[in-house]
Amino acid sequence: MLSLLDFTNLDFDQLFGMSDDTNPLMMLVWILPIILFVFYGQRIQLFVTSGEIKKGIKKLDGFKEESRDELISYVKKNLKLENDPTKKIDRFLDYFTIMPVDMDPNGIVDKVQHIVRSREDYTREHIRSLSPQISNFELTKIQTLLEIASSLQIIYKIVNHMFLTAKKQNNYPLILPLQMILPFIMEQAEAMNEAIPAFKTGQPVGDGIGPMVVGKMMLDHKKEITAFQTALAKTDFEGRTLFLLKAEGPGSTVGRPADALETIVSGTKIDIIIMIDAALKMEGEDSASVAQGFGAAIGGVGTERFQIEAITTSKNIPVFSIVVKQSVKEAITLMTKEIADKADDTRLQVYEMIRENTKSGQSVVVIGVGNTVGVPQ
Amino acid sequence: MMFSKKKITIAYTVEKCPKCDMIRKRAFTEGDVLFSESSKCNSCDGISVIEKIFGESIEQ
Repeated sequence: MLSLLDFTNLDFDQLFGMSDDTNPLMMLVWILPIILFVFYGQRIQLFVTSGEIKKGIKKLDGFKEESRDELISYVKKNLKLENDPTKKIDRFLDYFTIMPVDMDPNGIVDKVQHIVRSREDYTREHIRSLSPQISNFELTKIQTLLEIASSLQIIYKIVNHMFLTAKKQNNYPLILPLQMILPFIMEQAEAMNEAIPAFKTGQPVGDGIGPMVVGKMMLDHKKEITAFQTALAKTDFEGRTLFLLKAEGPGSTVGRPADALETIVSGTKIDIIIMIDAALKMEGEDSASVAQGFGAAIGGVGTERFQIEAITTSKNIPVFSIVVKQSVKEAITLMTKEIADKADDTRLQVYEMIRENTKSGQSVVVIGVGNTVGVPQ
Repeated sequence: MMFSKKKITIAYTVEKCPKCDMIRKRAFTEGDVLFSESSKCNSCDGISVIEKIFGESIEQ
């Protein structure tokens, strides 16, 4: 059997027609592809890449339509409206945001915060206009579903635009950045698409680990609303005063922790701040691993973090953070068992951090950062 | 890819009785909210509280 597979006696010259008596047909077989690739290489690459990108765009189009249909059916089912809301919802989905000019960055944070909050406020009012008796819980859920559908729509539009421009110009280099970034876009879009069921049913998401930890610490204590959609509870722990802060659950909101912190520090001397949040894990890192560090652990457009940093710097308050690592998908979809199991351990780490960094009689602000959907206090 | 199995996520609710620490895992039902009182404990006369809500993925 082995003797049949003996390749040692192959005559390569004969095989490829490269001996003196060169076969002209074999020469053509060699030369033609070279000429073809020299002159049409980019077009061939464009053709091959286009196929992959088309598949991605088709998927994005499916996500866009699916999220829109889910939103419309949810609104129709839960708000029991007299008129068909489809036209209004389609108009909401087309809303865009023009970010402020950053040629002169002075005062840009306030401008960004103003635009982002105006958008949120007006979206909320538009949803309320569909059904004035809507509960805040339902309103926050619909607002999040609208954000998801709107984001998926804009992602589809941008990717499709980049693809069609490259095709129209027959420009392969123009399609390269899209080919490189598409897997990351698809990961985000798939995560957003899979997040819809959790927000519809009001289940906690991975990002809600911070509110989950602080929410449990707030149980059985008197709560007050200290800033927009932000709850505060004051408790004692081994002689220290704790100000527990989180977004007002179980609605789908992140609250305004920076505004709440401003209110607290204006009336009380705070010695340390501890922030608990979900953080994006790096590739290779274990999901649901807990890490401690310094600085304000809070995501978003950056305005909340800026405000918190400004307050803590002016008052000279150290900021400690505890983060629970997770992927983009885990952060916005139904909380995984691994993340939920870390809630007790994270809470113990908060208490340990308080003991290690403060003395009896001092005051601590503990902030549970993240979307509090399905997590009350 | 041709043979990759589709993953589905099933939501679960974990209840804990504050009296006897009995833990029960059941399928999530709409209206379940963390830290809220859920049902009567099976082993004592306490009322179970929802401790966790999470999803577990299984391959189909």
